[in-house]
Amino acid sequence: MARRYSWILAAAGAMSLLVAGCGSATTSSSSSSSAPIKIGVPVPLSGSYASAGEDIVDGAKLAAAKINGSGGVLGRKIQIVPVDDACDAQTATQAAQNLVSQNVTAVAGGYCSSASLPELQVFHSQGDLPFVLDASTNPQLTELGYNDVFRTIGRDDEQGPFAANFIANFLHAKKVVVMDDNSTYAVGLQQDTVKALKTYGITATVQHLTPGQSDYTSVLTQINQLHPDVLYYTGYFTEMGLLLKQAHQLGYKFQMVGGDATNDPTVLSTAGSAANGFMLTTAPLAQFLGTAKSYVTEYTQKYGHAPGPYSVYEYDAVSVLAQAIKNADSTKASKINAAIGKIHDFKGLTGTFSFNKIGDRTPAVYITLRVVNGNFTAYKELNDAGQWVSVK
Amino acid sequence: MSVFVQYLVNGLTIGSFYALVALGYTMIYGIIRLINFAHGDLFMVGAFAGWLVVAAGAGMHLPVAMQLLLALLVAMVVVGLLAMGMERVAYQPLLKSSRLAILITALGVSLALENGAMIAFGAGFDTYPANILPLSGFHLFGAQVGYVQVAMFGLAILLMAGLYLFVQFTPVGTAMRALSFDQDAARLMGINVEGVVLITFLLGGSLAAASGVMMGLYYTQINFMMGFLMGLRAFTAAVLGGIGNIPGAMVGGLLIGVLQSLSAGYISSQWQDVIVFAVLILVLVFKPTGLFGERVVERM
Repeated sequence: MARRYSWILAAAGAMSLLVAGCGSATTSSSSSSSAPIKIGVPVPLSGSYASAGEDIVDGAKLAAAKINGSGGVLGRKIQIVPVDDACDAQTATQAAQNLVSQNVTAVAGGYCSSASLPELQVFHSQGDLPFVLDASTNPQLTELGYNDVFRTIGRDDEQGPFAANFIANFLHAKKVVVMDDNSTYAVGLQQDTVKALKTYGITATVQHLTPGQSDYTSVLTQINQLHPDVLYYTGYFTEMGLLLKQAHQLGYKFQMVGGDATNDPTVLSTAGSAANGFMLTTAPLAQFLGTAKSYVTEYTQKYGHAPGPYSVYEYDAVSVLAQAIKNADSTKASKINAAIGKIHDFKGLTGTFSFNKIGDRTPAVYITLRVVNGNFTAYKELNDAGQWVSVK
Repeated sequence: MSVFVQYLVNGLTIGSFYALVALGYTMIYGIIRLINFAHGDLFMVGAFAGWLVVAAGAGMHLPVAMQLLLALLVAMVVVGLLAMGMERVAYQPLLKSSRLAILITALGVSLALENGAMIAFGAGFDTYPANILPLSGFHLFGAQVGYVQVAMFGLAILLMAGLYLFVQFTPVGTAMRALSFDQDAARLMGINVEGVVLITFLLGGSLAAASGVMMGLYYTQINFMMGFLMGLRAFTAAVLGGIGNIPGAMVGGLLIGVLQSLSAGYISSQWQDVIVFAVLILVLVFKPTGLFGERVVERM
């Protein structure tokens, strides 16, 4: 009798193992001088964050098309090689090895910091392949001291203080709960925000949730007992939509603010009218960037939907790589890395920027958005004097 | 007190979704001793079928109540038929071979359904219209109870009661129970074993589909992987209640929902699965047949 049950449980365990990822391996055959220059794009293309990954690949493809349209780089075309990292460390390692085996010249992409971390370790160990991050904002990624890691987006320890400033000085909150989803990215942003809130005299309560569930009512009920003014959620959009909807159903009134990973239309379609009034801190969307107007039109025409939050940063990441390869006049990794480091005042779609010593973008920009009538609209930003003003 | 009631209400809502899926596990196990790992994916297919119907219904400007009813019925029928097809194609040829062969086949069917849905509907999230159901509710002992929660719970109980009555009081139900005791003896008594097994899959699939549509409507987000976690939890519920036992699956499902909700509320959501499985292990240690399971003569 007991044997039967142990067998059942073993089978359940086997089932959960089987679901862990499977990468697709494509054979490669390149390296003549007229063959395209391959740029790898590791992003989640399956699982909860697949839609964000697809948008990033589309952004990369638009950049490649633009570069190839004006003659390519070093007389060669740019070819985008997307690969699925499933937002999972283990799959990401395989995905990165897959890119290496396909002889990519450089890498531009990444979405979940927890996947980008193992990826950049693979690229670093395989001859310092240049890796320009477009969406992974965990500070650790550039703090490792690798000379082949760059990013076109700000980092969490810049977003954290920004969010804390917004919560304390604009929302005038007294009681704050900061919640993460235990992912590398969300925990990093949570810690930076909590630390920054302390400088405003606010002691935030920290909460965690387990992503991938459908029901967060118990977590919300627990939070509501603290009677907070603001709940800052540093996790991803899938859970944010559910949190908004379920808090509304439960009749809870605290203001919810999300981190930049909640910047996705899924929040609106999941929560419906419950999303109205929701605010988030984010690097500006392409729609709110004066420099990216034509990109938004072109993207929307080609793919039939608005560009996701990060595709424009991916566009810049691919453009930076192309520029660096051109400047280096070589596809050798070490020369490209040096060339990226020397890029100064690059005029990208996301503004004019350079890279500092460790590869981070300077200056970084953040704004807040608010949902009005079921749409994300630009809300407040900090002006040079440190005051909160409406985004023009 | 009010908070406890709130956790209880939330737990019963999600538990009723688990219970509906757990019934399919338990019925199929009871009759052909197969743990149908693809059962959670039938739940997922049901959610997508209902989603398509709601989208089509909205396109034709049908009244909301009509859309919901159609979504539920169409999903139940489609998935019921799919489950029958699954049994015919994948399981029936293997009924006489080793249990391991059929178990691996079930895993294969599960992966086929998941990846099929990913190809058909994409890898991201699809959403039911967020405002199709009212968000309002009432207060009960200080807890906020949504009308939708009551409706979902009521519908689940209704379906479960219907199933129970069917199994207890109809000729087919009697045949199902006979099969669960001894297939060969049942066949000798003139019972159409293949037919009854097919009907079991039809019923299990329909209930899973109903749960899928209800969960889609309630939480709005649906995804090709949603059946995996559900399958695991519902299977746990079936084992907790005593696999093969119908009231056991119902109670097991509700219990797991409530346990999850309470542990997420009073301890931490990170611990909810740890606690649920700890309880499962404890129950199995002291009562290896589950809460309601009866000791049956081991065959094979």
